[in-house]
Amino acid sequence: MKYRTAGTSTSIRAGGRLAGYYWQRTRRNKLAIAGLAFIIFLIFLALFGPFFTMDPTEVNFDEKNLPPIGFSIEKSIYDINTDEFTTTIIRGTWKHPLGTDNKGRDLLAMIVSGARISLLVGLIATGMAIILGTIIGVLSAYSGGWVDNALMRFTDIMMTFPFFLLLVLIVFIFGHSLIFIVLAIGLTGWTGTARLIRSESLSLRTREFVTAARAIGASDRRVIFRHLIPNVMSLIIVITTLSIPGVIMAEAALSFIGLGDPTWTSWGIILSAGQHTLDTAWWIAVGPGIMLFLTVLAFNFLGDGLRDAFDPKSKI
Amino acid sequence: MNDTILRTKNLKTYFYTTRGVVKAVNGVNFNLSRGECLCLVGESGCGKSVTALSLLRLLDSPPARIVDGQVSFGDIDLVKCSTRQLRQIRGKDIAMVFQEAQSALNPVLSIGNQIIEQVELHERISQREARARALALLEEMGIPSAERVIDTYPHLLSGGMKQRAMIAMSLSCNPQILIADEPTTAVDVTIQAQILEIFRNLRARKQMSFIFITHDLAIVNEIGDRAVVMYGGRDVETAPVSRIIKNPRHPYTRGLIACLPNMSRSEKRLESIPGNTPNPIELPPGCPFHPRCPKAMDICRRKVPSPTIVAEGHAVSCHLYAS
Repeated sequence: MKYRTAGTSTSIRAGGRLAGYYWQRTRRNKLAIAGLAFIIFLIFLALFGPFFTMDPTEVNFDEKNLPPIGFSIEKSIYDINTDEFTTTIIRGTWKHPLGTDNKGRDLLAMIVSGARISLLVGLIATGMAIILGTIIGVLSAYSGGWVDNALMRFTDIMMTFPFFLLLVLIVFIFGHSLIFIVLAIGLTGWTGTARLIRSESLSLRTREFVTAARAIGASDRRVIFRHLIPNVMSLIIVITTLSIPGVIMAEAALSFIGLGDPTWTSWGIILSAGQHTLDTAWWIAVGPGIMLFLTVLAFNFLGDGLRDAFDPKSKI
Repeated sequence: MNDTILRTKNLKTYFYTTRGVVKAVNGVNFNLSRGECLCLVGESGCGKSVTALSLLRLLDSPPARIVDGQVSFGDIDLVKCSTRQLRQIRGKDIAMVFQEAQSALNPVLSIGNQIIEQVELHERISQREARARALALLEEMGIPSAERVIDTYPHLLSGGMKQRAMIAMSLSCNPQILIADEPTTAVDVTIQAQILEIFRNLRARKQMSFIFITHDLAIVNEIGDRAVVMYGGRDVETAPVSRIIKNPRHPYTRGLIACLPNMSRSEKRLESIPGNTPNPIELPPGCPFHPRCPKAMDICRRKVPSPTIVAEGHAVSCHLYAS
């Protein structure tokens, strides 16, 4: 009869807080850590970047279509008096390290402020979707019977409803406002989460500790919020990280097809502005494109790493 | 002993499934006296656990439903009282210890927090006092370095420690009745002996009644005052433990006793009762034991026997003894 101390079981620290244990497991995944590093960088960029860059809305037609630093383009101007083309070579300047768009706006500033919008949309809309999905999923699993049936059929209907059409409809009705875009993504994106959380909770509900919690006199609400939801927390964290990129992409896609909120420079809006000049001023679309790509990749790497860390069957 | 604290009368719990109605508990009667240890004994599937869970209405409904009967705790009928009232009784007046501490403890809450939660649900008490009580209980259960265990999570503890922690938890509000559902089945024999020792100590020190569910007659003999032998969802024989062991009357109880290995006789094989426990969806008509009963008579196939008093405090539901 000996109390098994923390040291004897591998890599679990004394006290045995699970968060520490999962962090140890996540840390072994290099890609996940790289993803996490990029996400932290992105958050700092979004929080503080705009204080150091130019005003992203400042228009200057004298400096339009400047290439990024290290690149140059030939610019030919037709002189009506001499009937000749004068060709000058334009190089990128340090004033606009990533170049400018066709209105002379600084692309670096636009991308930095775009990070703010994209992250904000990603976090808020995902947060809404996850909270809704978790509550619906857990409630469905815990209640069972007709409540479960009603909630799951409602989820089915929401799932079969074409998401993009709904977004277009909402934007059409309420106008190009970022708030409605966030609401639309958040209020439609919870269905997958609800199903995953429900299936996880269904198996948890048959575990004895749920009965035990009721046997000590806990109310249904208490069982759900104190006993069930903390047990699906690992799943919630993984779903959250894996669905943020989808939401960021959805916002970018909406902006790209012209349904974004034009008052905010999101990455999708810069992309859509740059697509017409891809052959002459390629840098306008490439910058936000690369950022989108890296962001989605970073969240996916981190999400995969977390999923492996939380999965007791995976050996890492 | 007339000081009855809990009385069940004709308790019936059925499960309504797509394959039919599972009559898991089909008319159970027993009285529990103050300070008594009552054992519910029977094979797997005889309805012991379902009976225990029905006492506090802990089964999910649907599929389970208590279709008939009473569970009187004082003047409260636990089958009919409001959920609110029931919640106040659960954990405070009647506490429960489960079979597998491994799954009955919440894996993401520390041991201390789980005990404190129960105390806070029932008593107006400060966090510090609740923690002090949790610590005292863990020490009382013989958990070494309790001040460290209180902040650890269940997965770091051994099976025996978890079981002790769960017993500590069940005692945290000084319940009048403790229901223990096979608390020693999931642990090895040395731990089993220690857990039994804890229960024996509790019996000696506290004015508490126990309902002890087990399939092990040796445990019944060690810890019980009276035993209720269950078969096919019914109580078939109720008697003081010494009578059950030495002078069993019901053919099923006799079978059970005969199954025990006996060191004084030298047998090649252990006895067993032929056949299987009845399918609770299609219980045989009449006495549920008649298909396996060596003494089955005609009437056994037709009529459910009602309890007959064969001696003081000894009731048997068998046609052999019907007057």
